[in-house]
Amino acid sequence: MKKVMMGTEAATMAAKLARVQVVSAYPITPQTVIVESLADIIGRGELKAKYMPVESEHTAMASCMGASMAGARTFTATSSQGLAYMHEMLHFTAGERVPVVMVNCNRALAAPWNLYCDHTDSLSQRDTGWIQYYCADAQDVLDAILIAYAVAEQALLPVMINLDAFYLTHTSELLDVPDQETVDLFLPPYKALSKLDVDDPKTFSIVCGADLFSSIKYKHQRDTLAVAGIWDQVAERYNSHFNRLHPTVEAYRIEDADLCIVGIGTAIGAIRQTVDRLREEGLKVGSLRLAMIRPFPLEGLKRATAKAKHVIVIDRDVSYGAEGIVAQEVKAGLFEHRGDVSVTGFVAGIGGNDVTVDTIIPLVRQAISGDGDAVEAGMSLWAEVLP
Amino acid sequence: MQTKIIIQSLSELPTMPTTIGTMAWNQTGDWRYVTPLVADKLAPCSQNCPAGIPIPRYLGAVNRGDIGGGLALLLAHNPLPGLTGRLCYHPCQTKCVRKKIDQTISIQKMERFLGDLATDVTIEKSEKTDRRVTVIGSGPLGLSCAFYLGCRGYRVVVLDPSSQVGGALVGLSPGKIEPQVLSNEINRLIRLADIRLETGAIIDFAKLGELTAKADLVILDPTGLPEDFSAPAGAVACNPFDAETVTGGIISVKLPQNLAPFKAPMIAHYIAAGRLLARKASDALRPAGLAQPSPDLPLQAVNIDNIKIERFPASGPAAETETKQEGTWDRERALQEAARCLSCGTCNLCLQCVSYCPDATIRPDGEKIAVAVDLDHCKGCGICAYECPRGVITMEDMSV
Repeated sequence: MKKVMMGTEAATMAAKLARVQVVSAYPITPQTVIVESLADIIGRGELKAKYMPVESEHTAMASCMGASMAGARTFTATSSQGLAYMHEMLHFTAGERVPVVMVNCNRALAAPWNLYCDHTDSLSQRDTGWIQYYCADAQDVLDAILIAYAVAEQALLPVMINLDAFYLTHTSELLDVPDQETVDLFLPPYKALSKLDVDDPKTFSIVCGADLFSSIKYKHQRDTLAVAGIWDQVAERYNSHFNRLHPTVEAYRIEDADLCIVGIGTAIGAIRQTVDRLREEGLKVGSLRLAMIRPFPLEGLKRATAKAKHVIVIDRDVSYGAEGIVAQEVKAGLFEHRGDVSVTGFVAGIGGNDVTVDTIIPLVRQAISGDGDAVEAGMSLWAEVLP
Repeated sequence: MQTKIIIQSLSELPTMPTTIGTMAWNQTGDWRYVTPLVADKLAPCSQNCPAGIPIPRYLGAVNRGDIGGGLALLLAHNPLPGLTGRLCYHPCQTKCVRKKIDQTISIQKMERFLGDLATDVTIEKSEKTDRRVTVIGSGPLGLSCAFYLGCRGYRVVVLDPSSQVGGALVGLSPGKIEPQVLSNEINRLIRLADIRLETGAIIDFAKLGELTAKADLVILDPTGLPEDFSAPAGAVACNPFDAETVTGGIISVKLPQNLAPFKAPMIAHYIAAGRLLARKASDALRPAGLAQPSPDLPLQAVNIDNIKIERFPASGPAAETETKQEGTWDRERALQEAARCLSCGTCNLCLQCVSYCPDATIRPDGEKIAVAVDLDHCKGCGICAYECPRGVITMEDMSV
């Protein structure tokens, strides 16, 4: 069925179609639509689930972990400060290997206070052990959440689905909404491998000594690395039901490209238009969208940049004292097998600055010529900075 | 005891880090340096009771609805509760801790209620022996002594030269003791302890040989014989409250000055004297090889600071009225009063300790009204002792 929906409404619809059993959340702009409408849906009895209105995001994640330990399919959503407030419980949830799925609406972190799109909130949580997926459009939001449940429950790892604030959360698009019967075929009810059970008592979140700690963490790392492959398999199965692909990386016009522009989230649309525009000028340009940041899709990056001589990364985030976080990731990924590629990292579009064709083209020209308005700060070049 | 599971390979590790099996192998008891001792202590009321009755125990039984059990516990220390419930000056009540919250438990009324129950109860008795005891005089001391000897299996005969049973109690005004109450109390005592009672007995104190021929021991009850009665030659004087043991065939009980002559409000003292004398007599008469039954009584007094009165709510107004009401209480009022007892020093299975133990090492002990500590796992944190509102649990250094 075709429907016009905002990204937040697509997320709500996906949670409903996934038949989540527990929702525990605290409202925050721009996520609020998701949790309010889920409360309505559950309140009206359209979704058989427990809705826990909690006093904080920390509790939201803690209760999602508990509900998931009890064997429930669990959902929450947050943004920015709320995600930061969850930080401790993000480690806990991933360490406990419970398949919680969360939507995060990427919004700038204070101070200064800002409600608009910025990826630092979720990228600064990349080491918590969660799977991280960055959506490109509203259809991607709906589909990725359904895929995320199948992946999370197979890998026993929590998945964070990231939506750009306002560009995705509050922009309406025409979507193809799958029917419930087919979703049920794709995503059967969650059957926990191990759960809280009075008839089989066990302790979760155990105390663990040095004897087993490394082994447990090694398994977490190994199983996280395997998720890139699991996601692509599950996405292929999703494609067989719904005829839409959602791979971990998406390359565009890359076959003969010397120059590859890398980005995440909604900016990829403007990046692809930039590729088309610069191709008209005769530049051999392609682009790569990293849909997944954790696990880092190393093989996809290697394939897409096999012929590139120059890689440009647009970061809507920063790791202070270093550079854009995606640029760091890309450099680390290329370092092992490519000594002959140069990487230029831009910090652009943070805190609500639009990333458009007109803002990206000058950055590409600056990357090639070395001359432009973006100012250097360490290893990255910053756009939109006052002179 | 489940043994520790050792994970040998990565594949044995559960994906979700959870426990495998139990932690029972981990005997954390050896972390402990002080140990919770769960032991009933003497409540202030019991400490002040001349007969040492474990009052919270029988009130606890009544509170649980086991009224027959309550009576049995009471009779084990006081075979004449209907009389003490009317006559005793009840020093127990002056020490009642409940006073600090609202007002004392009406222990005397509770005794009277239990005493006046027209029910027989099963009490603990030893097997019958062939040893015979004759008690001369059926006053409260003689009856009490006869009761406990009867319960210990001796063949007891109570002889009273008077035509009326009860000794010094007989002369009391009907306002203090209704005649029917006296006979009911004595009848139950005799029935339960399997005693033979003869009134109007003709005793020739000049021919003591006749008496000693029929009994291994003869006891002369000062509360059952005339005040001017003087012990015959050959009788050995014995004060039941002294440490001395019983010797000789005829015991003439000598009471301390405060108890002679007989004073009705001191009845509990005479009952205690009878019980102490029974113990001495039993020690003297007991066939070789038969163990002395040990009294199941707490020995240590409860530390009053361990009764956490702030944790007990005040009673409703109903419990505050009617305490002066004449007559015998009905069951409902008695249950209401029993529920007010703080059960000082006496475990009543409130299970506060069980709820609060962070390691679940203190648990109800099967059928008993008691909790037991799993010393293999108790770390000695002391939370149980802190949480016990009635001073039953204390932390003790067991290393010395």
